[in-house]
Amino acid sequence: MKNFGKINTALRRKNKKNYALLVACIFFSVLLITAYVSMMRSPTVLAILPEGGDSRKQMMMIFVLAAIGCGFFTTYAASIFFRYKSREAGIFMALGASRGQISRQLFYELFVISAGSCAAGALLGTPLAWCIWQLFRTLLVDTQEMTLAFDPQAYMFALAFSLFIFISIFIMGRRFIRRTNIIDIVNEQRKSEPIREVKPWYGPVGIVLMIVGGFGGYIAPTIFIKVYQWYPPAWTNIIYLPLFIGLYMVLIHTVVRGWKHGKSRYKNIITNSLMKFQGKQTVNNMLVITVLIAGAYFAAFYTPMLGTGAMQETEKRPVDYAFHYRADQNMLTRSDITAIAAEEGVTITSWKDAEFAVLGQDGQHEVDDEGGKYHYEYSKLNGAGKYIAESNYNAMTGQNINVEPGRFAAVLADDGTGDNMIQVDATWLTNMTTRKMLSVSFQKYLRYEMMASSYYVLDDADYAQITAGLANEWREKLVYFNVEGALLTYDFAKKLYNSIVDHSGPECELPEFYDRVEKIAADKASETYWGDTEQMTKISYAGRDSSEFKQFWEYMPQFRVLDRNNFVATYAVFLMLFIFIAIICFAAVLVIGYTRCLTIAINNLQVYEDLRRLGATPKYLYNSIKGQISKVFGVPGIVGTSLIYIFYVMIMFFNDNMITQSEISGLISCLFVIAGMSVVIWIFHRFTLHKVCKMLNVKQSGKQHTNKCTE
Amino acid sequence: MLQVKDLHKSYKAGKITYEVLNGINLTVAQGEFVAVMGPSGSGKTTLLNCISCYIPFDKGHITLGGQDLKNLNEESLSKVHNKKLGFVFQDFMLLDGLNVLDNIMLPRIISGDTSEAMEQRGNELCDIFGISHIKNKYPAEISGGEKQRTAVARSLINEPLMILADEPTGNLDSKSSRTVISSFEEAKNHLSATIFMVTHDSFAASFCDRVIMLKDGAVYKVLEKKTERGAFQEELLEAIKEMSGDVA
Ligand SMILES: Nc1ncnc2c1ncn2[C@@H]1O[C@H](COP(=O)(O)OP(=O)(O)OP(=O)(O)O)[C@@H](O)[C@H]1O
Ligand SMILES: [Mg+2]
Repeated sequence: MKNFGKINTALRRKNKKNYALLVACIFFSVLLITAYVSMMRSPTVLAILPEGGDSRKQMMMIFVLAAIGCGFFTTYAASIFFRYKSREAGIFMALGASRGQISRQLFYELFVISAGSCAAGALLGTPLAWCIWQLFRTLLVDTQEMTLAFDPQAYMFALAFSLFIFISIFIMGRRFIRRTNIIDIVNEQRKSEPIREVKPWYGPVGIVLMIVGGFGGYIAPTIFIKVYQWYPPAWTNIIYLPLFIGLYMVLIHTVVRGWKHGKSRYKNIITNSLMKFQGKQTVNNMLVITVLIAGAYFAAFYTPMLGTGAMQETEKRPVDYAFHYRADQNMLTRSDITAIAAEEGVTITSWKDAEFAVLGQDGQHEVDDEGGKYHYEYSKLNGAGKYIAESNYNAMTGQNINVEPGRFAAVLADDGTGDNMIQVDATWLTNMTTRKMLSVSFQKYLRYEMMASSYYVLDDADYAQITAGLANEWREKLVYFNVEGALLTYDFAKKLYNSIVDHSGPECELPEFYDRVEKIAADKASETYWGDTEQMTKISYAGRDSSEFKQFWEYMPQFRVLDRNNFVATYAVFLMLFIFIAIICFAAVLVIGYTRCLTIAINNLQVYEDLRRLGATPKYLYNSIKGQISKVFGVPGIVGTSLIYIFYVMIMFFNDNMITQSEISGLISCLFVIAGMSVVIWIFHRFTLHKVCKMLNVKQSGKQHTNKCTE
Repeated sequence: MLQVKDLHKSYKAGKITYEVLNGINLTVAQGEFVAVMGPSGSGKTTLLNCISCYIPFDKGHITLGGQDLKNLNEESLSKVHNKKLGFVFQDFMLLDGLNVLDNIMLPRIISGDTSEAMEQRGNELCDIFGISHIKNKYPAEISGGEKQRTAVARSLINEPLMILADEPTGNLDSKSSRTVISSFEEAKNHLSATIFMVTHDSFAASFCDRVIMLKDGAVYKVLEKKTERGAFQEELLEAIKEMSGDVA
């Protein structure tokens, strides 16, 4: 009647909670990963994020991070499950069950658990992604390009991840079966790993190491490149190592010694000595939590940082519609555009156009040596630059500037940033048709957002002299116009955009970093221009709706309404991906922190019983528990958060040696994110505290009770 | 039934080796109720764990019902644990997820027996040990004495050659201890079980036929019950005093 299987069924029914945790964790991680992959492989998203572009690499990197995070908390949940199982298995073995018998049962259970929850997670992942995406569409922006399509191949990733979870759990199960030892269970020998000795200087030295490692690791590549002219290979990231050693030292110091000193040594002796006893595991757990919190914030900050800056840029533009085209193209005329506008019911309120020229300029360029090293070489035809006459510049921008004869000015953004993106060391300009040259030198920077980091300005007479005899293929037209209700002219913008692309010839089917002057120089030296190699991103008019084309086409118009929509779509994708990763990391943090605290509680059950018998007041017990739990959550929270925030400020500062207005607003939005997430952690910490107090039979409202008793 | 010859066992802690058992010799006959007493740290638990083969020993021989327990493979060891030995632990080691009756039948179920006869046997044991009224309850719902009686019943379900018990009354008050000792007597008298029990408690030991005194990992003295229980307990207390007096 009753058999071993039935007994196990009965046990499962009684111990549902232990199974539920594992099931929930596997389900949750497969769900998130599947949702993430569905997004990542969706043709819609792929169209928005260009192939080979940084954003796609970041997306992949985050995926790896997410997979690691999910793997982490699932295996952690599994280890807790095995801990629960060990007593059962030990009793079975003490009563003469063979290892084979136990492992058959265990693997059967593991199979059902993991197969079931993986399948459920994989099935619901895509619908979850769809729901979140729809939410974005209703809340943020909705264009035709944002209709979400799914690629069935995404399931391969989900399958691979499930398989990974499956295999790890089985390996853990096998190890568990091998290691289960009757005597450990009979003696209830819980292995404690006390930390032997922690010197008082551990903490301060740890902090110094963290600063040295973090700062050194970040600054080192720049030093290598600038000072030694050497692109350091990946292994040099080892310079970050002191950061982690320091982190470990700080945590260990906090757990064992605490930071408050003086008369209170005995006050916290119980708390500290209890934690000391499980020191190693606790510190390891805290290290993982710290890293995960930092990872979660890294992901969470990305969107506000990206968002505030880019959004401000489109809003700040003084012109609704801007585009430029080569003078040898059969482009739409002003009356063509007015006609299209009339068709769409759009009123053009102002119109400006002007000519500029593409000239050759001299300069230094990097030449690769072996082993990542390089040196500079000078050449007369080093690259192309866009040069506009001062009167045209004044007409287009409404400014009133003057450039001295024989000098040139370079245009930066309105807030003065972007000087690192435009070279000002040219001394000779070349007319690419006549090959006549003009000697120049840098005079000053100008500020105009629409031309930032790509235009130079020349004295009118100099411009006339150097462009004499210049063929139309090196001349371009710049057009700025405004319309009424610019943000409501999406259809017009779309139509105009398509029309501009249709009127561009194959000779203009080039990305912005394709330098025609460099190409000519390379041809002359019978070298292959790198722009013609495979490494170069290729763009095509057929892909005009792809984000890649929009990002890289040399003649891409800047239409505020299009850019805004495009940006919001890209932004939405990133927001989603980063929200996913943040959720995953935070979930891992909460699971690990919670279970760690419960473990501490279970291991100290007897200690608290004894303390109570020795006459400890509920308040004392409560504070002792609170001290431990706050450490598990608080220390990694504070350390991880400040680490990543400092790191972000550092990045923002070192990218241009200053913190701009938009970076400041980005950093402020990050503070809001921190506030929000910290509240979540705090609430969870209270929940855990409540749970642990209940387990240890300690009253949480201890304060009032003791007051009554002592009076 | 049980023969222990020249048993040696040492633990290594770092570089130091502690000799815990220094050549123990003893025998237990069929149907005998034997207790092992001795000061804390004298190696009682270690001895029991060696006999049950939960831990390996260094030197010597242990034979149970004619079978040498050294060098058994895991499979045969499981059989010994399941069929030939019954265990009673200080902290009961009942599965919280099973009710009393299922806990009792567990060794039988593990061995693959699922017959009606088993259930009948389980019920019989419940009757013998006076726990029939709680057989559908779970361990969390019964008293310490009841838990230990459940454990005694469990140890007997497979009619083992011998029951090994380490401080079975260690976690119990005197009244519950009494009922557990009675259940051992019950097992001995009605089921002619052989019982080998480690205890601190001279009251519990005084119910035994024979008490082996351990000191520093060797047999110090063996006392046999010739008189009635009360006098035997006096005798035991005297011996314990003498043994600790030796130390001082
Ligand atoms: N796993 C172990 N590793 C090292 N030494 C051990 C181990 N288990 C026991 N010992 C040592 O062996 C000695 C005997 O231990 P044992 O548990 O057998 O004593 P005992 O007689 O059962 O004591 P008690 O009456 O306190 O239960 C003790 O000194 C103990 O410190
Ligand atoms: Mg003992």
